[in-house]
Order: sequence, then C-alpha cells, then structure tokens
Amino acid sequence: MTRILDIGSFSTVRESGMAKLLPARPRVGVGMGTCGTGNGAEGVYHAFAEAIHNEGRDVKLASVGCFGFCAQEPLVNVRLPGRPLVILRRVQTSDVNPILDDIARGTLPEDLALCKIEEWDHLTAHVLYGTGFPKIPNWTEVPFFKPQKKIVLRNCGIISPDDIEEYIAVGGYQSLYKVLIDANPEMVVEQIKAAKLRGRGGAGFLTGLKWEFLRKAVADRKYIICNADEGDPGAYMNRNEIESDPHALLEGMIIGGYVMGATDGIIYVRAEYPLAVHRLTRAIDQARQSGILGENIMGRGFRFDIQLVEGAGAFVCGEETALIASLEGFAGRPRPRPPFPAQKGLYGMPTNINNVETWYNIAPIVAKGPAWFSETGSTKSAGTKVFSLVGKVTKTGLVEMPLGTPLKTFIYDVGEGGADGKPVKSVQTGGPSGGCIPQEMFETPVDYETLAQLGSIMGSGGMVVMDEDNCMVDVARYFIEFTHSESCGKCIPCRVGLDTSLRILNSFTRGKANEEDLERLDEMGRMIRDTSLCGLGQTAPNPLLTTMRHFRHEFEDHIRAKRCRAGVCEELALSPCENSCPLHMNIPRFLQLYKEDRIEEAFEAVVLDNPLPASTGRVCQHPCDNRCRRRSVDSAVNMRDVHRFIADAIYQSERFDALAARIAARKLEATGRKVGIVGAGPTGLAAAFYLALLGHEVTVYDPNPEPGGMLRYAIPDYRLPKDVVRREIELIRRLGVNFLCGVSVGTDLTLNDLDNQYNAVFLAIGTWKEAWVYLPGTELKGVMPALPFLEGVAKEQPAALGRQVVVIGGGNAAIDSARTALRMGSEVTVIYRREKKDMPAIREETDSAAEEGVKFVFLATPHRIVGDEAGNVKAIEVVKTKLGEFDSSGRRRPVPTGEIRRIQCDTVILAVGEAVDQDFVRAAGLRIKENGTLEVDRYTLETTRSKFYAGGDLISGASNVSNAMGYGKKAARTINQRLMGSGRWDRLAVQFAYSQVAPAEPSGSSRHHVEELPAAERAESFAEAVVGLAPEEAWEEAARCLRCDIKDHH
Amino acid sequence: MALTSSQSALALEEQSFIDRTITAYTGKPGALLGILERVQEHHPHKYLAPEVLEYVADQMDLPLAQIFSVATFYALFNLEPQGDHTVCICRGTACHTRGSRNLLQRLRLELGLPEESEDGADKLCITTADGKYSLRTVACFGQCALAPVVEVDHAIFGHMNEQTLHREIEHLDGRKA
Repeated sequence: MTRILDIGSFSTVRESGMAKLLPARPRVGVGMGTCGTGNGAEGVYHAFAEAIHNEGRDVKLASVGCFGFCAQEPLVNVRLPGRPLVILRRVQTSDVNPILDDIARGTLPEDLALCKIEEWDHLTAHVLYGTGFPKIPNWTEVPFFKPQKKIVLRNCGIISPDDIEEYIAVGGYQSLYKVLIDANPEMVVEQIKAAKLRGRGGAGFLTGLKWEFLRKAVADRKYIICNADEGDPGAYMNRNEIESDPHALLEGMIIGGYVMGATDGIIYVRAEYPLAVHRLTRAIDQARQSGILGENIMGRGFRFDIQLVEGAGAFVCGEETALIASLEGFAGRPRPRPPFPAQKGLYGMPTNINNVETWYNIAPIVAKGPAWFSETGSTKSAGTKVFSLVGKVTKTGLVEMPLGTPLKTFIYDVGEGGADGKPVKSVQTGGPSGGCIPQEMFETPVDYETLAQLGSIMGSGGMVVMDEDNCMVDVARYFIEFTHSESCGKCIPCRVGLDTSLRILNSFTRGKANEEDLERLDEMGRMIRDTSLCGLGQTAPNPLLTTMRHFRHEFEDHIRAKRCRAGVCEELALSPCENSCPLHMNIPRFLQLYKEDRIEEAFEAVVLDNPLPASTGRVCQHPCDNRCRRRSVDSAVNMRDVHRFIADAIYQSERFDALAARIAARKLEATGRKVGIVGAGPTGLAAAFYLALLGHEVTVYDPNPEPGGMLRYAIPDYRLPKDVVRREIELIRRLGVNFLCGVSVGTDLTLNDLDNQYNAVFLAIGTWKEAWVYLPGTELKGVMPALPFLEGVAKEQPAALGRQVVVIGGGNAAIDSARTALRMGSEVTVIYRREKKDMPAIREETDSAAEEGVKFVFLATPHRIVGDEAGNVKAIEVVKTKLGEFDSSGRRRPVPTGEIRRIQCDTVILAVGEAVDQDFVRAAGLRIKENGTLEVDRYTLETTRSKFYAGGDLISGASNVSNAMGYGKKAARTINQRLMGSGRWDRLAVQFAYSQVAPAEPSGSSRHHVEELPAAERAESFAEAVVGLAPEEAWEEAARCLRCDIKDHH
Repeated sequence: MALTSSQSALALEEQSFIDRTITAYTGKPGALLGILERVQEHHPHKYLAPEVLEYVADQMDLPLAQIFSVATFYALFNLEPQGDHTVCICRGTACHTRGSRNLLQRLRLELGLPEESEDGADKLCITTADGKYSLRTVACFGQCALAPVVEVDHAIFGHMNEQTLHREIEHLDGRKA
C-alpha cells in the first residue's frame, strides 16, 4: 500500500483507484450491505465469481455498498467501458449468466435495469462514467430517487468500501489534505459554523460551536468520539453509511481531530452491526498503512489514531454521558450535565462526541464551502439528512432529503403510498424518542423544530409508516415497553414511571382500562418528560403523548367500546374475523356448529348475530377475508358463503316456520316501550330486529311500497333476488315488528309527531340522493342518475334505455347499473376516472361485469354530454386523466390532461356518489357535519336532539349493507340501554355448547369458491348469477377454520 | 491481591486466555467491554460464569461489584449458559409493525417456554431446560427493510412468518438428530 506523503503519492493512488473504478474492461459491483446480503447478494456475488473464473470472462468483480433502495435488493451495478453505470435490481443467481452473456455482447439486460448514472457528483470529485443506453432512465427519473440529494450517501453503493484507493479516486481524503496544508484550524471551525451544520444524532446542536468548545479547551489529552451506537429501532442509516463508505467517517474524524487538537479518536459502534465493525476495522488498517492515520499523517506532522470499540447491547449508551461511562468500564448510566463532555468527558478530559452522519458532512463542507452547503435545507438547518423509510409503505429504503422537505414527499412521492394500496394512517418519526404524526399533518416539513412542535422529533431519522392495521394504543405500548426495558434505572421518573405506564397500557390492550387511566397516563407522561435525568427518560413519553393527542379515539374505543379496530389487541376480540365484521358475528361458532352437522343451531346462531344472513351472504364486501389467519396457510375461509348457505338452507325449506318461531320465542318480556324507526333499509331492519327481541314495541316507517331499502330497490335481482329479501324480512315481521310502508316521514308525518308517539326514534334514511355532476349536457334526454334508474327497475317500471349506455362511476351503484343495463339489452361502457384497482366496487362484481361484456374506460372523466337537435343524448366527451398527488384516501387524485375522446351513446347513467338528503335533516333541526353527514355521538349514536338516534349511511356517508347493519345493531343496544338500563342486552346472548378444541392441523382442502353461471347465459337474464355452495362444500369450508377463538392453550 | 492459579476455580487454559485478553486491552477505552466480550465468546456455552467474573475482577484490580454491574447491565452478556442454538427475534419498530411479536409468542409456545413475562415486557433471553435453544430478543438489528427479521445462529433471515420460522427450527432439530 502506498504511503501518502505528498501530492505526488496522492495522485499515484488516485490514478490507481480510478483504474479500478473505471477499468478498461466491464466491471460488476454487487451491493453487499447487510440488506443486500439478507436478500441473497452473497449468493449472487459467488455466482458471479464462479462464472467469471470458470469461464475465463474478462470482467472485474467488486463488492460495493448499498445504494439505498432496499425494496429492490439485491442491487448490482454494471459498467461497460465508456458506458454509464447501470444499476440492476432484484438480481438472482439465475440472472448471473444471462447478465455475463449480455456483457460479453456489449449490452445489458434492460428488463433488470433500474436506472443508469452517466455522471456522478461525489462532491469531492466529479466522475464521468459514460453515455449510452437511451432506454434506461436516469437515476433522477426514478420516483424513489428523484427528490433525493446525496451528500452523506455520496459514495454509497458506487465505490467498494474495502478499498481505500477507490475512495481516494473519487476525491476522498482531499479535504483532509487541504485542511492539513492550509494549517488554519480556526478557519475550518468558522466554515463548519457558517455552514450551519447541526448534529445529526437528534439534538441538533450546532456542530461548529461544539467543535469550537473543544478546540478552546486546554488539556493534555483531548478525545473525539463517533457515536455509532445507532440504537433507534427502525433506523439503520448509520449502519449503511459505515458499511458502504467507512473512509468518509474516518476522514471527518481526522479533520475534526486536527481542528480540535485531539490525538485520539474512538468509534463506538453497536455489537449488532458485525459487518460495519469488520469494514471499519479494515478501513482503519488501510488508512494506517497509507499514512493517513497514525504518526505524521500525510507527511504534515499531525498525529492521530482511531480506535474501534464495540457496544454491548444497551440502547441508553447512545446518550453521550452514558457512552462515556461505558467506555470507562462502567455500566452505561448517564451523568448530569453540566459539566458537558467538552469540559469533562472521557476520563475527565475534554471530549467531543458527534453522530456518524455529522462526521460524513465534514469533507464535503471543506471541499465545497459553507455557502454551497447552506443552499440545501431550510433556513435554520442546512444540508440533508438520511431517513429510513420503512413499515407499511410501498417502497422502503434509505432516503437522503434536504431538511425541510414535507412528510408527504417522503411517503407519497418517494415511498409511493401505503403498502397494498391501503391509506396511510400515521408515520412514526424519531424512534422511541419521537412520536406519531397523523396523516392530516403530512404537509409538515421535516426539520428539528417543526417535528418538535407536533410533539415528535426528527431524531435519528427513522420513519415508520403505519396503516389501519396498526393499533395506535399498541404502538404506544410498544415504545413504552422498549424504553422501559432499556432504562438504566438510575432515576425514579424513568425507572418507576415507565414501568407504571407500561402496566396501565397493558390493561388498555386487555380491555381493562377506564377513563381515569387515560388521565393517569397523561400525567405520568408529562412527569417523566419533565423530571428524568437524561434524554432517554425525557423523550420516552413522546410516543405515548403524541398518540394520545392525535389518536385519542383509539384509546377511547379500547375503554368505552372495548374494541380494537385495527385488530391487534387480541384480547379485545373473539377472533380476527369477528373483529373485522361490522356485525361482530361469532363466525367460528357457526362454522363449528355446521361442521358438527347442527345446521338448525347454526342458523339460529347466525341470525341472532346477523338478521339478514342470506342477503349479506350475497352482497357483503367480506372484510373478514382480509383478516382470516388461514391466509398464512393458503387462503381465507369463505365465511360469507357459508352463512349464505346456512341461511338459504333454512329459508328455502319447510323448516322456516319452526326456526322463525324459535327465534321469536327468544324475545324478552315486553317492556312497554315504543321505538319508531324511520327507514326500512338494512340499518332500520337490523335495529328493528334487535329492539323487538329486547321486548320493545317497534314500528318501522318507509316511503316505498315494501321494506328493504337498497336491498329491495337498488341492488339488482341477479345479485340479490327479491324473494330472498322478502323471506328475511318475514322473519323480522314474526318478531312483531310493525311495518308502515308508503309513509314518508317529513311529509306524511313529522319528527315532532314521532317525538310524541315514541320513547325513542331511530333515523336510518340512508343516502338516496344521487350526487349530481355539473356537466354541460346533463339536461339532455337520456341522462339519468343511477339510484332512480335502479329503483325503477326494481319497481318494474324501468326507464327507457337506449342501445348504447355509458355509466359514469366506479362504485357498486355504477356496476349494478351497468350489469342491469346490459341485461336490458344495451351495450354498456363504464367510465371511471382512476384505475381499475382504485374502484370502490366489490372486485368480484367488476370482474363479472367485464366477463359479461361490459366495457371499461379507465383514467377518463366526463367533459360534456353532446345532444342532437331533438335534445337527445348522442355522445359523451371524456377527458383523459393521469394520476397526480395522493389524497387522504390513499389513492392518487386524477388530474385532467388535455386529451379529449368522444364516445357515442344515447344514454348516460350517473353513478358518481350518493348523499344525505340535507333538506330532511335541516328541517329536523339536526346538525350536519362538514362532510354532509349527520352528527351523532360516536358511542351512543344519539343526535343533537334528545330521544333521536341515527345510524347507517345517514351518518357514515354512502357505505355498504354490512356497515349499515352494524350501526343498526349498535343503535338497538344503546337505545335499549337508555330505556332500560344496562344488562338487558347481555340476556340476548345465545349459549350453544360446541367443541372447544382447535384442529391440530389445518384441514387439507383449499378454499371453495361459489360458482357463477356462464357469462353469456347470465348476461341475458336477471336470474341469480351466483350459485351458492353445495352442502359438502360448505362443510369442508367450515372445517378449514383454525378456531382462532380458542385462546386457552393446554 | 491477585488470585493465584491454584486459588481460582478456573482451568489453567481459561486463565491464560483471560490474562492474554486483559493484556491486549489494557489502557484502551472500552477495555472492560472488549475483554468480557472476548472471554464470553471463548466459552463453548457463550456465557460468563461467576468464577470468570471473579478472576477478571482480580486480575484487573477492579471491585467485583463493578464487573458484576457491567456484566448485568449490558444485554450482550450472558450469566447463564446458552443453548446450542440461539434464535433471536428482532423487536424493532418496523419488525413489530410487521408482526414480530406474534413470532415471539409462537416461538415461546413451540419451544415450551413460559408464555409471558411477569411485567409484560418482551425483552428476554431464556434457554430451554434441555439446553438446546436460547430464545432472545434484540431491540433492532438495523435490517428494517427485511422486516420481520430473525437471527438463527448468527444467520440473518428476513421476511419471516410463522411458517418459515417453524421450518428453520425444524431444520435445526434435524441437524441435531
């Protein structure tokens, strides 16, 4: 290894390094960070090595660090002489030979290419790799990289970390050389101060100032330390920096040592990072051999050496005084400050501690000057920060962004939104010292102060994204458990306070907490924050205080409703499926009963949980499917179709009367209370069922000739036959519910009348007003809104349809309209403004529609409807859209382009949304929320008018049948509670004895799907399109259940 | 007052290894951590026996209380013999978000270990009665993009679920048999 003593030897080494980086033959660099290795990069490297060796290929193989795009590992960069550096993604061992073959032909596999780099600014040098490969996008065009600016990560993933010569080739150690030659340490301090570099460990103290303190300190010996004890869970940028570019750290420290007058440097690195330790050890060795560490550095007479110390698994050692104690051979317990380490640090001597990333910024600032550095970032905080974007986000990885970039850029532009297309609920920043920021606040710029204002911190740069499947109470508990375990135990607020907080949070997750506990947690959190000795305790309550502040309703749900909507706190739910069901059906119970061949009891169990099992069995959007644990074996249990089967089996048999009587016999004794229900849709029907069972006298009003609401007058026959609906309503009638049809509340009688006649009134009028689209041409003949169209068909008075129908919308109403129009003999095209995967309609419905011949046009929005001279529709013009920024639903907002397309048609059905009848609501003197729905108490469903309750679409906005029924069931419970006090509801609980032994092994059969009639056949008729499960199929399906409800392990 | 080789309960070979290690680290910052790490690693069951702690205290002329304080403070040090195989579940945030707690519970069940710690904390290091397995947790491996992460005998596995974890355990079992 050449010792660098002067410019001449420096140049020699640089040239040697350049020849390795840009050789005259092809070079393959396999990304070998820990992430890459975890994804199989080692195997890829060996495969390359073997192939190159065995086949005598003229290719230089190197192992490089990580370029940051973790979701695409293993990453391999390839450079053909004179051509750009191309980064290949997700490279497997099977790709190795094809890649080498391509290289031999002077080309590269473009399908594996992620991006290319034609030139790269290493900041300490500028390297031209080459031009070419026009079809491969530049790295700045990849959404993940586009907003990034690589200062800290300037070399990562490009050079080999194992070779000092490559580091020098890209300008490494030039800054050190400059500093030593200038021999003006004060100037360097001024530069660092002027650059406004702030500590990247979290506290954000001005680095230049800190350096000045140490520089001015007078002592025989001064120490500088690099804090590489990156303990924040979720943060791994320091690890990547060290593994990929260890010399940059050394250079920063040597410069620091010179400037501050220290001769000893220590890097304290976690034991959990063995590869980082290894690479650093090697780099230090090479530096020593090159004369860059040790005596007479670079021939300039400066002496400095660096020692590596491994931590031993204590998170608190990331705190500087604890780190020092650890180095001194004590337990890592923090000490009070003042005195600060710059005055009294390691062994009582002046010490400067900086985080890894802070050191990485030093060489570029020296090379390019403070003005350049402060061009990036915000006014108070210059430069960039590396963040680890992980969790429930589509693209994970390490992202280097200018300080002050808003959160939404990270999550939507770089991360491409929530994983699996789900909306993002919150992001947790700053590790255990940070907090959770809700989606509504994603405009917030990421900076030291801005996040602190929200109760969080930027900290080490960890960003953990969370969605609806994460319970925020559980998140708070997780962090308190973490800090509690890592507490050093020295001071009472942290040691005892966190322990107590953890116990209270545990009771939350078990459904045993009460309102006082919320108060106690708040008080405890503040006390710990304000009185703890060190940063660990002072910031430990942040996750708790922020989740309580921004997600209070989740805590309240755990107390008041004893529910964990995310389905995480297992003790609050019977099983994941039950938890996700809007009616909280005890699904394992009916599956088991049917498995035991007790179909009549299964039917009773089903109906008592869900009074419309045959209807929901056909139209429910089955949230249970997504939560079924059986998915981790093969696929979810088809619970919906089993309860459809059970319901059909009884409803369509002679046993109906007997079973209906059995259900009616469960009615509790008459209470003498009267309840009026407005609306006989699913919400009203569910409420009526339960209120009748509870012994109340129930009357249901509905303006239509028959009860059923959307079940009867919107959902078409081929999905839900009228007979099925009638049968189910008949059972409800037999409980004594009185239906007054053809009566319109608001016109035929007023709410005041109801107030006088009833002890409680439940409003369940749904959302029957079709939202209107303001388009030129909607006044033409042939334009109709969806709901009235469907209603007309249901009442056997269909509107006149043309031969070419266009439906606008993407929800169930749109698909229902489309498939109905098709069956009436028209050609149908559905126009939707987003993509297929964004459609709110049930997926099976959309697929069936397509099979039947419905055409779809995506990414188009109506522009105007064109009419002929007679005022009839003759065509519609649509504008092509493209997807822009993400909105709060977690989908991209469609943005019109200039392109217009004309589609011939004679009918336009508008199915763009349903809304609440606001006139009715206002006339009733009830309060409407900003989004147009009725305001009610979250837990009791009571409106602002006493005695009046509301539920269903009226309060939630257009939703679906099962959600609506969920509200009806809940309303029955709260109304009963108001009228009769507590305890009565529980008397409705059924007791069936059935096996409580979970299956030892998952059953062998795979999921049974219901059969659809062939598309051509079903497209011609309104007969039911989907045939239910056969008895044996339903039985096998029931047997697939893993019985998650059985919790006692024996 | 140094223990003579006859007074210590340790084998001569072990004493000599400890002596050499102490010499190598003397005068360096973080010496005690490094020494204890090397000595622990040197033992076939990867732990620090009481006699070892006593010997180190004596040779380094430090109070035994200090050695004991350090040995008990840091999670890396084991005061109990470890199992033949170590399974380490990462309890970092990203891994937790992706279900590592369930993996921990599953493993406890499978290895016949107690289901829950008294204070509800998840940080642990327990060894099965037959000495085959040690189950421990780590705060974070720094492999967040591979969540959930499990380390089995120093090999890192990413994207683990209950099935793949079960397979790894069976694999270990098979190897032993």
